[in-house]
Amino acid sequence: MGEIIRYGAYLPRYRAPLGEIQRFYGRPGRPRAKALCTPALDEDPLTMAYEAAAAALEGAEAPGALIAVSQSPPFGLRKLSATLARALGLPEVVPLDVGGHPGAALDALALAGALTAGGSPPALVVASDHLVSHDERVADTLSAGGAAAFLVGGSGGFARLGPSARASREVYDVWRLGTEPEPRYRLEVLFDAYGSTSAEALAALEAATERPTSAYAAVCASQPHPQALRALGRAGVGAEQLEGTSFVGEIGNLGAASVGLALALGLDRASPGDHLLALGYGAGEAIAQDVEVTAEPPAIAAAAQIAGEAIDLSTYYRWTRGRQAEPH
Amino acid sequence: MRVGVLGIGKTPHKIQHGKSLRDLVVEAGRGALADAGVEPADIQALYVGNVGSVGFNYENSTGLMSAHHLGVVPAGAVRVEAACGTGAWALHLGCVAILSGLYDTVMVLGAEKMNDLATVEGTSIIAQAADSKEEYFSGLTFPSGVALTARKYMQTYNLTEEDLAHTSVKNHHYGARNPYAHLRFECTVEEVMRSAKVADPLKLYEVCPMTDAGSALVLCREEILRDQPDKPQVYVTATQMATGTWYAASDTLADAHALLAAPAQRAYEMAGVSADDIDVAEIYNSFAIQEPLGVEALGFAEQGEGWKGAADGSTWIDGKVAVNLSGGLLCKGHPLGATGSTQAVDVVEQLRGTAPPDMQRPDAEVGISACRGGPGAVGAIHVYQRLEGGE
Amino acid sequence: MTVSAIEFSRLGPPKLRLYAMRCGACGTLQPWWEHHHCYACGGSDLSEEELAGGGVLTNYTVVYYPPRDFLGQEPYVVGHITMDEGVLMPAPVVGVAPDDVEVGTRVRSTLRRMKLGHEGDIYYSQKFVVDDERTPTPGPAEG
Repeated sequence: MGEIIRYGAYLPRYRAPLGEIQRFYGRPGRPRAKALCTPALDEDPLTMAYEAAAAALEGAEAPGALIAVSQSPPFGLRKLSATLARALGLPEVVPLDVGGHPGAALDALALAGALTAGGSPPALVVASDHLVSHDERVADTLSAGGAAAFLVGGSGGFARLGPSARASREVYDVWRLGTEPEPRYRLEVLFDAYGSTSAEALAALEAATERPTSAYAAVCASQPHPQALRALGRAGVGAEQLEGTSFVGEIGNLGAASVGLALALGLDRASPGDHLLALGYGAGEAIAQDVEVTAEPPAIAAAAQIAGEAIDLSTYYRWTRGRQAEPH
Repeated sequence: MRVGVLGIGKTPHKIQHGKSLRDLVVEAGRGALADAGVEPADIQALYVGNVGSVGFNYENSTGLMSAHHLGVVPAGAVRVEAACGTGAWALHLGCVAILSGLYDTVMVLGAEKMNDLATVEGTSIIAQAADSKEEYFSGLTFPSGVALTARKYMQTYNLTEEDLAHTSVKNHHYGARNPYAHLRFECTVEEVMRSAKVADPLKLYEVCPMTDAGSALVLCREEILRDQPDKPQVYVTATQMATGTWYAASDTLADAHALLAAPAQRAYEMAGVSADDIDVAEIYNSFAIQEPLGVEALGFAEQGEGWKGAADGSTWIDGKVAVNLSGGLLCKGHPLGATGSTQAVDVVEQLRGTAPPDMQRPDAEVGISACRGGPGAVGAIHVYQRLEGGE
Repeated sequence: MTVSAIEFSRLGPPKLRLYAMRCGACGTLQPWWEHHHCYACGGSDLSEEELAGGGVLTNYTVVYYPPRDFLGQEPYVVGHITMDEGVLMPAPVVGVAPDDVEVGTRVRSTLRRMKLGHEGDIYYSQKFVVDDERTPTPGPAEG
């Protein structure tokens, strides 16, 4: 249900040198990404969401609902979607916050499709995250930030949200206690959990659509770590399906925005008739979403934002220490 | 109008960690009292100029504190504030007090202790003298607000940064000779150009240091000074104040000119002199660009040409009018509340002939001080004359 | 620069959109903070008008010594931007090296964090980015 009418993506322009960061903090091992996409001091998930959303809404019909997805909203106990709606000048939209796991953008797309059935105005889905690293935490090594937005309507789109399948299990791969600032993880189960829940969702989607995973033109996946993408290989995803939509090795982990950016990259390269597979996973969840491209996508050249501008270690330290020293 | 300058006093201008705000107040005030030959009990009203004691020093009622520590209690005292024009406003109120006939002898004092905090804190406090709610909320600081004016000036008159650098060279020449100045080194145009950027296009040698200082004047009715002919016969003969726009965004070069030109015109009429009669001028220049603007507004040069005097000698000690023989605020620093009163003290010294010889304008008889404040919000002009033999 | 909770509530919600004030008497548009008084005609009937967000950099400076709330962002460009509606606004210009802006650069407004209030409230407001699509490229040299 639901068709993607427009989309947008925003990556902060600054790239921090992960190799130097690791050496500075005394973390061993080869850097798993070339650089970290680092929001500037005056950016946060609200401002990044604004950029992606404004791009997606340009020249489009005003939405009736706005669904915000973030694991790092600037405020707790408040709606990111409501403030974003005011910033965009959309006081009449129904604001909704959806979250709970890294693939929640796909929950939001499903919700948007349901909301816009039967002639309702379109719904805007915006996923935006800034994962702020804490020292000595391997799971945070690739912490980065960015945003992606999708305008979903009942009709008039260039891509149709097709069948989807889910897997969900109670597993402590990555989690956090309540409001504590740092995520907890168990390395020994992390990548296995990502891979096996994804495999389960992919198998279920294959059964529902009778389209094998390998038949998709591209797989647009959450990518917390290059190793997680390799685990997908064991679940039936081919390397060439990830080629045009992978970025974690270039710019790091964008949290809940990762699957959104991956989908934007996939749509940019798609042609009418292609089927893309959006795959969001993590925290014991996996969602596999079939996206059928029916017309030429209004491409946004998201890949052009990946290169960015290098910053040095002292700037990265100043910006991330600043965020950690004060509430953010 | 004639208001007698009975006594003057000032402290060195520098970072003085060993002194508190009240130490500076007392040093400046007692210096003026001694020079005037009067006792604290003779002071009938006290006007204390101070801008930022709440922020810099965590104390507020500076006027009342000063009255106590100077011993002028029970005479009335009040703190005066008008951004960087504060000291000039204290002087204006002192003149008004005398001219009203209500008072015979008053003290005007300015003091600021800026270096108890780190630069970034001080910068933020100074920014509160401009619109910190919206305009300076946008990341402007005082140096950067004035930098915008410097760029406008260069664009309008097709000038280079080198053209403007001569102002700093002249000020540093005289600052090096002023024992009371914060910065006491000479510099060349090349050194000004190489100095660190502060707010483009302003460079380090084009902005004033944050300094700690106090200065004071004892003012009296004309007759009181006349009756003491062995005292130097220096009088304030005009005082004119103005306001201008509160926002840097609305401050055009025309506004900047009018801010000082309009009160200057009225001051010349009040004193019965013209721009050609001026021998020495203290022109507010916390940022170098403000000196050319002031030179133009006071009628010493056409608009767009005020920068030339520093380059061709006409605003040096033996030029047509000597501007900022004290080294200006660029070298003295800008102790916010004291700057206006220090300018007055420095002009009076020139008219008395008591400045150090290598910064003393020979036979100075008529002087002027131009003070300004805020992005473009305060203009203050005072004219001073040495009037011997019952003139 | 900190604000008490009382003043924060008096100031109203953070400035999430870009406004200017239109004078009901003479029609002059002035930067949105002139709440009370028209600087052009002295009138007191002003109303908010939303701006489209596009403008031209007509002056700028580069700040190397920031105030406390901007620590860590220096050096940054602060510009005087003449909006397409004719009103002059001061604002930072971000996402570009100081050497890459000049008088005449076209810019557009966007949302950024300005500072953290001392009550834990976040002040958002408008900063500007270079409007790549519409910045005119220099034409052939004359003469």
